[in-house]
Amino acid sequence: MSELTKNSDTQALQEVFRFWQLVIIKVRFNLRSEATQSYLSYAWWLLEPLMQMGVYYIVFDIFLHRGGEDFVPFLLCGIVPWLWFSRSVNNSSRSIVQGQGLISQTYLPKPFFPLVVIGQDLVKQQVVFLLLFGFLLYFGYMPSVEWLWLIPIVITQLMLIIAVAFLVSFIVPFARDIQYLINAGLMMMMFGSGIFYSYESVLLPEHREIFLMNPMANLIVSYRMVLMDGTAPMTDSLIVIASVSLVFIFLMSRAMKRHNNTLTRLALE
Amino acid sequence: MKSINLDIRPGETLGIIGSNGSGKSTLLKVLARIYQPDEGKIVYNANKISLLSLALGFDARLSGFDNAVLSSMLLGATLREAKQKVESIIDFSELGEFASHPVRTYSSGMRARLGFSVALNMKTDVLLIDEALAVGDAKFRAKSEKAIVERVTSSQTVILVSHSGPQINRLCDRAVWIEKGEIVLEGDTDFVTGQYAKA
Repeated sequence: MSELTKNSDTQALQEVFRFWQLVIIKVRFNLRSEATQSYLSYAWWLLEPLMQMGVYYIVFDIFLHRGGEDFVPFLLCGIVPWLWFSRSVNNSSRSIVQGQGLISQTYLPKPFFPLVVIGQDLVKQQVVFLLLFGFLLYFGYMPSVEWLWLIPIVITQLMLIIAVAFLVSFIVPFARDIQYLINAGLMMMMFGSGIFYSYESVLLPEHREIFLMNPMANLIVSYRMVLMDGTAPMTDSLIVIASVSLVFIFLMSRAMKRHNNTLTRLALE
Repeated sequence: MKSINLDIRPGETLGIIGSNGSGKSTLLKVLARIYQPDEGKIVYNANKISLLSLALGFDARLSGFDNAVLSSMLLGATLREAKQKVESIIDFSELGEFASHPVRTYSSGMRARLGFSVALNMKTDVLLIDEALAVGDAKFRAKSEKAIVERVTSSQTVILVSHSGPQINRLCDRAVWIEKGEIVLEGDTDFVTGQYAKA
């Protein structure tokens, strides 16, 4: 047990302020560092998703021409949020292990490491969302006031991402092999998230409730309701997902604090 | 680390001496809160405690400026403090126009100079130094030891780990000899380093 005897409330607040400042600066510098690695640097934030979406458009709309008029926008409204989720979770799973350089030299609360990864992905995701809006306009979906619902949906998804990222980044140092299970799990979850199909037309009515218990499946339904149908999302589900995620974030932060020593030792192994 | 019972007084320069693997670096890391003790406790009466780590968190693809800011923040500065200090850090490091070049283009000496300048420009209550005195060429080495002596003679509390008796003698008020995670001897610098040299 160590204790800071002079640590008053204001100092604790300063620590919190410094922590978040450091997360933001690290995100900014990591993005800058990443950009120096390629000729086109920041342009890739736009080009990479543009190429991906372009491929879906070419394959499904031009070549296969299947699934009806709406299929490509339907697909994009599913795949864009999904890729954000799976990328962030995957990238943050090894974040504590990869932070060994810093961990061995300075004290940083462990949530720092997944948060930096999530921050980097969040910044890039803003560009991807803008691109998605562009595609939707091209397909004739006009923005409406209902699109404002995206704000709570995106925030809910961010909460979910933080919760899952904290969980996996906490577990992976204990058994690095779990990394492979995470990949498999994400793949399974992808097929269960209704990206390529509409749950209402594919699933039996008695299975639909189970399907919607998958938070990503649930969020994707909401994204489509707002972006394609111009209706309000399933607000009850959003509240449940956000609250459960917050509880998880709180519990995982406590676990990381309690097992800080163990995580430090495991990360340096 | 077994039974270490140590009082560190404000403003003093304490030298920790011991052979390789004696646990002296581990002790510094415990004091820096990198490791927490399984048993026992540390009572801190100071707020900012920094382990002088050269090139802490350096990203070779970023410029010297950016790395100085990032490294300062990792050592405990706020963004504003880091930005205020960056000029004097770059000045001290003698990097000149290279400060805006990526650190990967630096020689190891330039890198060490930047790292040292960042660490030495940090305002902390307790400074922990782990045998990091010898960086750069002879001229910079003299300059950096002078900067450390300045820190030492000011009211700064410094804990210096070394396996060199003469260095501890030159810089410290008091010395502790550690072997196998336990304190062998504690007291006056000359006496402790003298006994250490005999062993």
